[in-house]
Amino acid sequence: MNALSLEQVFKQYGANTAVNGISFEVGQGEIYGLLGANGAGKTTTMRMVLGLIYPDSGKIRYGGKAYSKELLQGLGYLPEERGLYPKVKVSDQILYLAQLRGMSRKDADANLRRWLDRFGVPEYYGKKVEELSKGNQQKIQFIAAVIHHPRIVIMDEAFSGLDPVNVELLKSTVKELRDGGSSILFSTHRMEHVEELCRNITILHKSNPVLQGNLKAIKKQFPRERVVLATDGDVSGLEALGGVTGVTRHEYGYELMIADEAAGRPILELAMTQTNVTRFEIMEPTLNEIFIKTVGENHE
Amino acid sequence: MNNGFWTVVGFTAKNKLRGKAFLVTTIIIAVIMSIGINLPYIISQFSGEGKPTAVGYLDSAADKAQSQLFTSTRIVSLLDAYYEAQEKPELKFVPIADAGSADANEQALKQAVSDDLVDGYIGFAPDPESGFPAVTYKSESLMETKVSQSLSTALQAVKMEAVIDSGGISDELKAVLTKPIKLDTVQISTGEGAGSIGNGKSSEQQGMDMATVYVIIFMLFMAIMISGQMIASEITAEKSSRVMEILITSVAPLKAMFGKILGMFLVVLAQLAAYIVVIVVNMTLPQNADTLSGYGISLDLIDPALLVYAILFFLTGFFLFATLFAAVGSIVSRTEDLGQAVLPITMLSLAGFYICIFSGLNSPGSMLIKVSSFIPFFSPYAMVVRLGLSDPPLWQVWLSIAILLASILACGWLSAKIYRAGVLMYGKKPSMKELFKAMRAYR
Repeated sequence: MNALSLEQVFKQYGANTAVNGISFEVGQGEIYGLLGANGAGKTTTMRMVLGLIYPDSGKIRYGGKAYSKELLQGLGYLPEERGLYPKVKVSDQILYLAQLRGMSRKDADANLRRWLDRFGVPEYYGKKVEELSKGNQQKIQFIAAVIHHPRIVIMDEAFSGLDPVNVELLKSTVKELRDGGSSILFSTHRMEHVEELCRNITILHKSNPVLQGNLKAIKKQFPRERVVLATDGDVSGLEALGGVTGVTRHEYGYELMIADEAAGRPILELAMTQTNVTRFEIMEPTLNEIFIKTVGENHE
Repeated sequence: MNNGFWTVVGFTAKNKLRGKAFLVTTIIIAVIMSIGINLPYIISQFSGEGKPTAVGYLDSAADKAQSQLFTSTRIVSLLDAYYEAQEKPELKFVPIADAGSADANEQALKQAVSDDLVDGYIGFAPDPESGFPAVTYKSESLMETKVSQSLSTALQAVKMEAVIDSGGISDELKAVLTKPIKLDTVQISTGEGAGSIGNGKSSEQQGMDMATVYVIIFMLFMAIMISGQMIASEITAEKSSRVMEILITSVAPLKAMFGKILGMFLVVLAQLAAYIVVIVVNMTLPQNADTLSGYGISLDLIDPALLVYAILFFLTGFFLFATLFAAVGSIVSRTEDLGQAVLPITMLSLAGFYICIFSGLNSPGSMLIKVSSFIPFFSPYAMVVRLGLSDPPLWQVWLSIAILLASILACGWLSAKIYRAGVLMYGKKPSMKELFKAMRAYR
């Protein structure tokens, strides 16, 4: 039984279609990536999953069941924008939100202290949110979303506005949640995060799901057409090789675009006749490239 | 599943009660109230009401020699006796020596005023027609009504006493003659009314009813305005800080809204309780109780039935307006826009308040007040006025309460729908059409 499944979900705002028939399933202990440019319909989809807005048609199922108020307690939500009381103490509002989701005050308090320790900021317990930096507010927001051990967590741009150290910290906690059995619906603009975290993805473009499925399978669909060649000295005559469509010089060596994988071998052979090769790799397409390709093609 | 509701109530109330701004405001208002109640006493301490006003008169030797009934010196000595018999003499008389000529006398008297020996002086001129000299009181003030009224009463009494004395009337008759006539106005009830009137109230009790009604509708008005604004601005703040999105994914919107309203109600109740304690304590302080009872104000005179009805209308009135304020708060996205958005509700509350203050207190039986006491947004004010100052039939009172309860349900239902739709609408203030459409989306 999938923790969360969407089936042909539509949403219209007036004459504009916000989400045009999206379907996907998130298994237990899985992080599902929802990608798309600004205004592609990611947040609308998430809000429908949260029950904040109702879909015009289609079904959303939670562990096989339809939406109900009782489900609220098993959901965690990390909104894109800060959603905290600026003038209320961290402890007060986190305990409040945890209690609203059915936790006892005592359990919530113990959990909050554990999370604050985990993030290395136990001194924030009695501070007001407005006194904290943006990155630290995001940590508090994160705690608010997960303090009640939700079965399903919805994270909208979870890592925006964080420095690299904190991104790593939150990323490792997200992985822990996943390993603890939570299902996570995750949206971001940062493709490297998706590659690291998500098993399956949907790319939304202008309200339409344009690419969907297992990340590895998706990557296989796209041809490997980029070669990285690192050498000690210069290599000449690369452009003249058959199948090579472009050559870019970098400090470490060369980056070549090829028409198909068969063009790889002559490149390596040519380079080895001229100098030492320290690295040769026919690269998998990055998600970034796939994204730009998919979305770019649809721009027409 | 009532958990969520009470959690919201607790959080709302606790946060507000803890806030510095709230504490400071409450203390400031309590201090102002204490000063207000103590003011009559404080004024009586400072204005030298205990000290008699000094009035000068010409101590003329020539006048003394005359043997008429009313010479100036005889009148003054009678006045002296009259004022000395008082518990707190209002006036005292200071002789100014005769300087010889009329001009010099006038000069001497004026000098006495400018030297602050006396506050003013009296002069006597023969008035053969009335048989009593014409009296003038001269002072630097334009209209010394207090002194002149006192003088006039005193002179009348003095004249009468002197005449009676010379006429040889018995003391018994004299007592009958000088005793003031007693006239009491008592309000009666002609039907089975629910008002506090009808049990034969004295004019003091009526005056106290008037004051109580005034205080009650004023407090209701203040409570509605202040708490309504607080409810609306808290909801707007939750919306603009986007806590709302987390909030209504945790708890049903209806619970969130009514939890907020009830939480704020507890805060208002606590605040009002504090004010009432301040009022009662201050009014029962010995020095104030004396001074205030001098003005006919005493807590014993308040009718308990009126208080019970007042509390009933206070509760219904509060919740009726609170739901509306909550709905408005949920429509607006930014606190800056809130003032304009709540204006219609403010006007509604203000209208009810002013109808009662300007029309109700003077003529509680007027048609305007009668009609208003059945209109939901005016009735909390108007019915309290009718109950306190006239005698509405019991069925009318309960009809008014029933109408109020029905409108609370209707407004609560409507507000909950607006709230549910409004909390997720960001950006500019939505038009009626947009709002209606959004409301229909959430059944």
